[in-house]
Amino acid sequence: MALLIGLGLLISTIMLFQIRKISDSCGILAMQAVLLSLTACVMWFKTGISHLLVAAIFTLLVKAILIPAILYYTIWKIDIKREVERFTTHYISLLIALVLAAAGYYIASNLNLPSAKFGETYLPVSVIMIFLGTFIMIDHKKAIMQGVGLITIENGIFLVAEAIAYGMPLVVEFGIFFDVLVSVIVIGILLFRIHSTFDSLNTEKMQNLKG
Amino acid sequence: MTLMDWFWILMLTPLITGFIAWRIKTPSCAWVQAAGAALTLMAGLALAFQVLSQSALTFWDGFIYIDALGAFNIGLVVFVGFTASLYSIGYMNYELAEGIINERQLGQFYLLFHLFIFSMVAVSVVNSVGLMWVGIELTTIVSALLVGLYKRETALEAAWKYLIMGSVGISFALIGIIFIYLSGVNLLGENPAALNWTVLQHVSEDLNPRWILTAFVFVLVGFGTKAGLAPMHFWLPDAHSQAPSPVSAVLSGVMLNTALYGVLRIYAIANSTLHGQAAQYLIFFGILSIAITVPFILVQHDLKRMLAYSSVEHIGIITLGVGIGGPLGLYGALLHMFNHSMAKSMMFLAAGNINQKYHSKQIERISGVLKSLPITGVIFLVGTFAIAGAPPFNIFISEFTIMMAGFKAGHIAVTVLFISLVVLIFAGMVQYVIKMAFGQAPARMVSGEINVCSTIALFLPLVLVLSCGLYVHPFLSEVIYKVSAILQGVH
Repeated sequence: MALLIGLGLLISTIMLFQIRKISDSCGILAMQAVLLSLTACVMWFKTGISHLLVAAIFTLLVKAILIPAILYYTIWKIDIKREVERFTTHYISLLIALVLAAAGYYIASNLNLPSAKFGETYLPVSVIMIFLGTFIMIDHKKAIMQGVGLITIENGIFLVAEAIAYGMPLVVEFGIFFDVLVSVIVIGILLFRIHSTFDSLNTEKMQNLKG
Repeated sequence: MTLMDWFWILMLTPLITGFIAWRIKTPSCAWVQAAGAALTLMAGLALAFQVLSQSALTFWDGFIYIDALGAFNIGLVVFVGFTASLYSIGYMNYELAEGIINERQLGQFYLLFHLFIFSMVAVSVVNSVGLMWVGIELTTIVSALLVGLYKRETALEAAWKYLIMGSVGISFALIGIIFIYLSGVNLLGENPAALNWTVLQHVSEDLNPRWILTAFVFVLVGFGTKAGLAPMHFWLPDAHSQAPSPVSAVLSGVMLNTALYGVLRIYAIANSTLHGQAAQYLIFFGILSIAITVPFILVQHDLKRMLAYSSVEHIGIITLGVGIGGPLGLYGALLHMFNHSMAKSMMFLAAGNINQKYHSKQIERISGVLKSLPITGVIFLVGTFAIAGAPPFNIFISEFTIMMAGFKAGHIAVTVLFISLVVLIFAGMVQYVIKMAFGQAPARMVSGEINVCSTIALFLPLVLVLSCGLYVHPFLSEVIYKVSAILQGVH
């Protein structure tokens, strides 16, 4: 079960490199969040730690529903050219993603990171998610994809916390959910303003400040 | 008034004030928010004074914990917050009259400004380091909107860069905090209190050193990004130069301190677990931050960018001082934190007046400030010498203390490098400021200040810059000893 979910998370992250339209990323992020919430559920089932269940419900609510909805609304409202634009070609970025995934797996298994009893499977996946999220932020030209990369990194960190410590204390977990939600809203607001001022979301145009 | 009352006033006033000002929107909301900031100042200072003169405050089952370090930060936040808020009355109403912003933006500005103050106070009062992280992330989110308040291209670019770099950086800090929780849980069992700073501080010597080292490096890089430590400082000059001037003052004066506060909290634990091995990282990042600013300050065309790079330098100096450590190093570093807050917020506010008078931040276009702005000009000149570290101003004393501590602790090479870099920066800054201050004012410019509020506000930090240059008040000294005792891990 854990292996299956881990694989699903991995595939959903790799799929972010396969998209042709930006709006596809919202669906993938929602799927990723559903899988994340499933990991928390499985861990709750195995350990009986009740706050894992609460975390699972909130992941579903915030990360699988609210955040993709906000992102989708932003994309729909801005009505940008929907195709993704990368600095590299489609195949090269997929290749780099796979290399990064392999590297992430290798690093995670060689670091001897401490992990909780039921979390071993997820640790390499979470490291890979953080790596690939960072790569998405660098690779894409559209500013909105930096937001998508950021959410992927956050999801990876959520998984790290689960894999090595069965999640953070509940109050802190709530705080983190709140922050992630608010930061996605602020990302949306700034994207609106950027689009109406620059008439584009291309980060190459946003390079006026130097020195 | 009991402590609890002051605490509630401190936490609620910024929120309520922000919302009221947001609803009013007209220029008169400036006075309402200034009154709110004054109340926050009063509550913050009352609370800080109580904590500093008696003992640490803790309630709600250890959820809230305010010790000398927290109180020190609260004091700085509310003071600089009030100064900037008083200044905004003049500054923002002028922007409104000039048509640079509209009334809706004015309301938004005050709402976000007070939320920003709230988030920084919140960071300083929570016990759990996890919630401290939440608070620091909140400061990024709120202030990114403040940086992007003017919907200019450059402002939005700066805000976006700041939000993205800040959030990614801070995610790294979260990984560090997960590691701390892990080592806490390993020792104390599955227990939410395993993230409480008081608990961690108590058991710090028994924590797993390998995990704590990993955690500390992640936290240093993560919160270091927010604090503007090199080489993670790239957002800082952009954000500081594009934000409205009162926001630049708060960003530089206290938000960098608040991020550094996060580093210091974790450092206090890590250094005791690792028996002093954590200090070398602080020395490295500190000296790197000072060194990296030199070329940018020596060749600079933008007044506010120059001040922003100087903030990177000073955060580097504080970090270096803490890294050198010992009673003398910590004393110097904390005193420097205080001094830098005062001097740099004053400089950004003065730069805002100059900016409005000359309609430009370009150094080449500014000359004769002493003639065109008689009061701001003098304060700006005094502030420059203060910030560059000339005697008899406050920053000279703290920099000198850190140098002494460096030599005493045997970091000869680092200290010599530090001194030579500071001298270079001094030359760079003074050269530009002399050019701006003296010389001929533009022919058609009328001499005189823009308005009363934005001039009066400069005097609040000025008093402290001048008085602390002559001698360090015994109460301040005592406060700093108390804070440094916390950082040294004296239970």
